[in-house]
Amino acid sequence: MSQSVGYSSTPPSSSSRFSQPSVSSLSSPPTSLYSNPQHPSSSSSSSINTINNANSNPNRRESVRSSIQPSSLQQQLFGSSSNTNISGGGGGGSQYQPILDRSLNKSKGSEIALSAWAFMFAEIISYSQSRVDSVTDLEKRLSSLGYEAGQRILSLLLLRNTQTSNLKDPKREHRLIPILQFVHTQIYKYVFGKPADGLERGSDALDEYMIILNESPLTQFISVPKDMSDLSCEAFTAGMVEAVLDGLDVPARVTAHWVGDRYPEHPQRTVILIKLDQKVMDREEALGK
Amino acid sequence: MTIHGLWVISKAGGLVFSRSYSDTLPPQPVNTILTLAGILHGIHAITAKLTPAQIPGVPVGGLESFEAEGWGGKVFLTPTGTKFVLLHSLPQAGLDELLRRVYEIYSDAVMKNPFHTPEMPINSSLFESKLQTLIGGVNAA
Repeated sequence: MSQSVGYSSTPPSSSSRFSQPSVSSLSSPPTSLYSNPQHPSSSSSSSINTINNANSNPNRRESVRSSIQPSSLQQQLFGSSSNTNISGGGGGGSQYQPILDRSLNKSKGSEIALSAWAFMFAEIISYSQSRVDSVTDLEKRLSSLGYEAGQRILSLLLLRNTQTSNLKDPKREHRLIPILQFVHTQIYKYVFGKPADGLERGSDALDEYMIILNESPLTQFISVPKDMSDLSCEAFTAGMVEAVLDGLDVPARVTAHWVGDRYPEHPQRTVILIKLDQKVMDREEALGK
Repeated sequence: MTIHGLWVISKAGGLVFSRSYSDTLPPQPVNTILTLAGILHGIHAITAKLTPAQIPGVPVGGLESFEAEGWGGKVFLTPTGTKFVLLHSLPQAGLDELLRRVYEIYSDAVMKNPFHTPEMPINSSLFESKLQTLIGGVNAA
């Protein structure tokens, strides 16, 4: 390898293209990715890096380059950080706009197929199922996933609502009933394409509300086996509703219950039960009618 | 036309689902149906090899239908190797469309169900109820 190090004069052979002066670590992302962890001191000049690496192990470097080269799904979605940083957005990989750089207001063309969701959700459930001991744990896992989704949905929806009203009349509900109606109508419409089929108050307890959906698009293909009949995969939706309520400062315990056995015409009917925190009830009472 | 029954045969040749939708054909024990499905699977594989003049570029299908006295069977092979077999009365019409609908229901209710294990018997109430609606409608017409 010694003759290829003399990059200053001789034209490089095919194996020594990394030691060309033109391909410095600044213009070539793979090189900089590789050499940075080996030489954390950024003060050392790039030419020294190049020589050291070319001397030490050119094969290893070749393998690193080839492992970076194919555009992975992650790169397509989020963009390769090294590429965008170094080339400044111009040049390669421009046909995939990173998901984080897309406009938040553009909802057209950003939908995905329901089947894609259904397959992914099915995989999530079978993955989670192999890592839990009980149905309760599984519901907890799904619920925490839904919570993550709900947090994002709330902030996105509030932002979009504000921007569609042209910043003139930004509105954020603060009373209990309008908040529940906001969940029932706007959140459900955004997530499922239609408002929920019912919003009811619990008959025996004042702090219980129910959001009813006859057929959820999220779980419409799932049929739970008989030995797990108390499992409701709508726990995901419950977690989502809980996050939205939390975000609007209405802490509550939200659970999903399948009641299809009592409604023959809607065998997938699910109730999202909202048990409000005492704090919310106290505040509502203080605020009055 | 009456649909007498539906079988779903996995790509390994095992019967993963069978339902009877009419009383015309005498009911068979499960073991007999399993054997019949296995034989059908074998015949299907053999017929795929028997094609006398293969057209280049066109995939070889194999057995598509069979007929007996008063009843027949229609075989639908999916790209993944799963076979749907409809047992029906004669004369028949519109079975291709019906089989496509069955395949659609299978894709929705079975393949998207996290509690289903591939190549294992189908145990989905949703699949059964959707099929009942579909085939019940055909039988009633």
